[in-house]
Amino acid sequence: MENNSIQNILESLNYFTPELALMLTFFVLLLVDLFFRKSKYLLPAISLVGFIVSGYLLVYTPDVKGFLFSTGMTNIGLYVIDPFSFFFKILILLAMIYTILFSLSSKEINEAGGNRGEYYVLLSSFALGMFLLTSTIDLLLMYLSFELVSLSSYILAGFTRNVKRSAEASLKYIIFGAVASGAMLYGISILYGLTGTTNLYLINFYLSNQNIESLPLVIAGLLIIGGIGFKISMAPFHFWTPDVYEGAPITITAVLSVASKAAGFALLIRSLKIMFIDYTATNLQSSAWAILSQFKWNELIAGLAVLTMTLGNLAALWQSNLKRMLAYSSIAHAGYMLTGFVILDNQGIMAILIYFFIYLFMNLGAFFVVMLIADKLGSEEMEDYTGLGYKAPFLGVSLTIFLISLTGIPPTAGFVAKLYLFGALIKAKWIWLAVIGVLNSVISLYYYLKVVKNMFLRESEIEYSHNLGHGNLLITLSLLIPTLLFGIYFKPIIEFAEQSVRIFGF
Amino acid sequence: MIPLKYYLILSAAFFSIGIIGVLTRRNAIIIFMCIELMLNAVNLTLVSFSSFFGDSSGQIFVFFVMAVAAAEAAVGLAIIIALFRNKLTINVDEVNIFKW
Amino acid sequence: MSGIPYLTLVTFLPILGMIIVLLIKSEKIQLIRITAAIVTFLQIVIAALMWSKFNFSAAGINDQSSFQFVEKVRWIEIKNLADWIGTVKIDYFLGVDGLSMPMVLLTALISFLGVLASWNISKGIKGYFALYLLLDTGMMGSFVALDFFLFYVFWELMLLPMYFLIGIWGGPRKEYAAIKFFIYTLFGSVFMLLVMLGLYFSTYEILPDGSKVYTFNMLQMMNPVNYSKEGLLSPFNPNNLRFIAYIFLFIGFAIKVPMFPFHTWLPDAHVEAPTPISVILAGILLKLGTYGMMRISFPIFPEITNQLAYWIAVFGMINIVYGALCAMAQKDFKSLIAYSSISHMGYVLLGMASLTTQGMMGALFQMFNHGTITAMLFMIVGVIYDRAHTRGVNDFGGLALQMPVYTGITTVAFFASLGLPGLSGFISEAFVFLGAFSNETIRILAIISTLGILLTAAYMLWTMQRIYFGKLNPRWENLPDVNKLELAALSPLAVVVILFGIYPSPMLNLMNTSVNKLVEIVVNGQVTFSNLSALIK
Repeated sequence: MENNSIQNILESLNYFTPELALMLTFFVLLLVDLFFRKSKYLLPAISLVGFIVSGYLLVYTPDVKGFLFSTGMTNIGLYVIDPFSFFFKILILLAMIYTILFSLSSKEINEAGGNRGEYYVLLSSFALGMFLLTSTIDLLLMYLSFELVSLSSYILAGFTRNVKRSAEASLKYIIFGAVASGAMLYGISILYGLTGTTNLYLINFYLSNQNIESLPLVIAGLLIIGGIGFKISMAPFHFWTPDVYEGAPITITAVLSVASKAAGFALLIRSLKIMFIDYTATNLQSSAWAILSQFKWNELIAGLAVLTMTLGNLAALWQSNLKRMLAYSSIAHAGYMLTGFVILDNQGIMAILIYFFIYLFMNLGAFFVVMLIADKLGSEEMEDYTGLGYKAPFLGVSLTIFLISLTGIPPTAGFVAKLYLFGALIKAKWIWLAVIGVLNSVISLYYYLKVVKNMFLRESEIEYSHNLGHGNLLITLSLLIPTLLFGIYFKPIIEFAEQSVRIFGF
Repeated sequence: MIPLKYYLILSAAFFSIGIIGVLTRRNAIIIFMCIELMLNAVNLTLVSFSSFFGDSSGQIFVFFVMAVAAAEAAVGLAIIIALFRNKLTINVDEVNIFKW
Repeated sequence: MSGIPYLTLVTFLPILGMIIVLLIKSEKIQLIRITAAIVTFLQIVIAALMWSKFNFSAAGINDQSSFQFVEKVRWIEIKNLADWIGTVKIDYFLGVDGLSMPMVLLTALISFLGVLASWNISKGIKGYFALYLLLDTGMMGSFVALDFFLFYVFWELMLLPMYFLIGIWGGPRKEYAAIKFFIYTLFGSVFMLLVMLGLYFSTYEILPDGSKVYTFNMLQMMNPVNYSKEGLLSPFNPNNLRFIAYIFLFIGFAIKVPMFPFHTWLPDAHVEAPTPISVILAGILLKLGTYGMMRISFPIFPEITNQLAYWIAVFGMINIVYGALCAMAQKDFKSLIAYSSISHMGYVLLGMASLTTQGMMGALFQMFNHGTITAMLFMIVGVIYDRAHTRGVNDFGGLALQMPVYTGITTVAFFASLGLPGLSGFISEAFVFLGAFSNETIRILAIISTLGILLTAAYMLWTMQRIYFGKLNPRWENLPDVNKLELAALSPLAVVVILFGIYPSPMLNLMNTSVNKLVEIVVNGQVTFSNLSALIK
């Protein structure tokens, strides 16, 4: 018995190599930071290599094995490897690689002083935490990786310590975050009390076979959804988002808005789907929420989705700071994606995956252009963007395309994302939700176009010239081209998402 | 033997006190203490369930929670110090560069 | 499908032109203008070639084999990797019939003349023509697309260039006008998106290999047999969702028309837009609304069209009378023309709602005529604004002697607009009223609408009098008459207006077969779509 479990752990390590690569990167970065503080390019280069190696291992890991780290008593372990987690890991790695590239040209980061080492170290632990989040099937590991992500991001958000707003953002972030994770933990403990296990699959087994009191279950479910909802900035747990996004360095804002949100969604989908699905039902759609049927969960989530997108969009209308506006817009996008979560069938999950993949390019692109301009202009205020489209045409046009894509107008990729999301809603007959969703995208047009208006419809006398280096040009293009290309030919992403929708055990 | 229910009620009470403290107190240090209280309420729940089931995983969980709580407190205090250097206050009401 | 892909050429030629324009250095203004002119002229050539090869007896509408110049290529095909979604298939599917061919001709003509009218745009010429050509592709594509998804992409493609064209090159309140235009039209089109998705998940197409897939193909959506029984918008479904979907879709198109009460963006957009963009807006863009109704709403939802025809006619009547009354009250020449557009589009709605061949034919012909006449009127406003830098109707007077050629052309346009016999506007309005009177339910509305003709005559003549007759305001003693370029842009339209006023049959023949078919589908559709339960057995 004992031998078995040790053997299992050793065997599991073969499939755990991408995560191991990230861990190794973390330690190497720590060590190198001790000895080679001065070098500007060494640390980012190591991080890049680490992420790329991890990606390579991810793609070339032997075939899906299933549960990892079984304890021997049961065959069900702590960790799974499935196409679903593969999709999110690729997404996270892409976002991390872009973040490193952004950081190289970011003035904020390069001028932050001698502790740049910590920055890259924490980025790698951040990535590791998100990797674990996407694959975990055990409440304990879920909590630990959740905290790993959170702790790294608290520090990263306040990385530019000497900037007042950065420190303030960091404090708000950690207070909200700690309360959210405390609440989630309380939910976990109740769930443990109800079922006597921390494994998601076993929880499902107990829930469907025993008569469980519904009130504690509902409370536990609410607390867990709330805790994860904090990570994906779901209303009413979104209050930290605008402050942190505005206060944090732009590179970190970008990665928080894409990667950590993706990890949060992955966790939300996986944990709730595994815990609460009814395996015996034949109709996938009605089975999704079957165990929680005493309580209309999907309607609750639908309500929260509506609240999230509407609040995000309405608040974004009044913003004058571009970063803050993008923060509210990212809240609104979380709301759109939550509508896919309402229909927890494959169609809905697939829509979320597609949305995320496209959102990665368009949102990172928007943040990158804003960062480049802010470094030069020293401001993120929309007022200061007046006439910028004529002074820096390439950046102006790129930002316009990213914003149009975020609105969801063809022929950009953002349209395909919305198309699949609303398609899933229509197919599942959530028509009122789809109507609210599209109305929200009309609202969002107004504030996205406010930026475009300042850039192109007005002229100004200010001197501004931007000499984009080759590197930055390439990075922008690498985000711009997919944003346009996937709008016209979206077959590849759809197929990728379609393959990735399978969660282990289904 | 004290029934399980009592432990649970106690921990629920602790948890609520913690939440209320976070919402009402203005001193960042006290807010962190309230967060610790919340985590410890959870620990109490986990331990009591664990001994009730005779299953060790709840107690293991508690160890991890304690470690994480320590890390969280360390990071939190560091951030508070950074903020104090900038603003010479740790009152969250005065931490208000950001508005809607 | 063999031979030259006319429709692809006519649609994507402007994009090619856009790329060329973008490659030219921005200092070479003349070269950019000439490129745009050549590209749009080639469009006319291709459109004319198509007209000459057009088979007048093929109906189209819901039958792929009688569409002409059809191009159908699989654009996106995603095989069913998982059984729960099935194959996703989107076609690059273009084709024309008697409904779209006149619109293609109109688009080609107006786009070319619009380039001529843009000759004296002085700011950011490169960007202007690049956006102009992109807009051209969007419009042309919307008229020839037969796949709903493709149609939607083209439809939305028009928004952004239009926003910039109004917003950058417009008048003092350009920002307001541009965003208002964008938000209104997007508001309409997102509803269209939902209906499109609803239809997609309700209709099947059977592929050659026998498998059934959901389809965006408009022609398949027109056939009740293709609807799945449990589909959301299936006629078999005993819910009123089809009714709601029709309203959604109708709002999407009505905003573009623009139909009262969704018309408020139009006067703003027109007043602020530069002349050539007003020409495009009134000449082509508005037609997309009514074209969409004829192409999509009517044949896909025939039973509801029958149900709601009366209300469409009511709105048509309101448009006619309200637009005319508003036009009468305007002091700005350009917004006067803008409101007259609203009034004239009302005739189109009234004609369509009559559900008779004459009415529908009149509506379609009125779309073409309104395109040419209003384009002329806006150019006329542009001519005078360029010289006098004011558009106040009351600021002028006695221009007839000062600018005789200009006044002559204006007279043609004004009389065509008020429906004088012998000019094209008369014929289409006559058809509209013939149709409307022959339908008993809307006869009373038609009678009220005739008031519109009276009002139109009144404000047109009154405007004529205020601007061209009477005493010459000494301020304008030095105004030169139209120059050659303006004449080149105006006279082809004048020729078209007079020609089709005297000899409309080429255009009417073009439309005839398709319009007959459309009316037949709508009228019979009430039966086929309502008695569907028999069909499923």
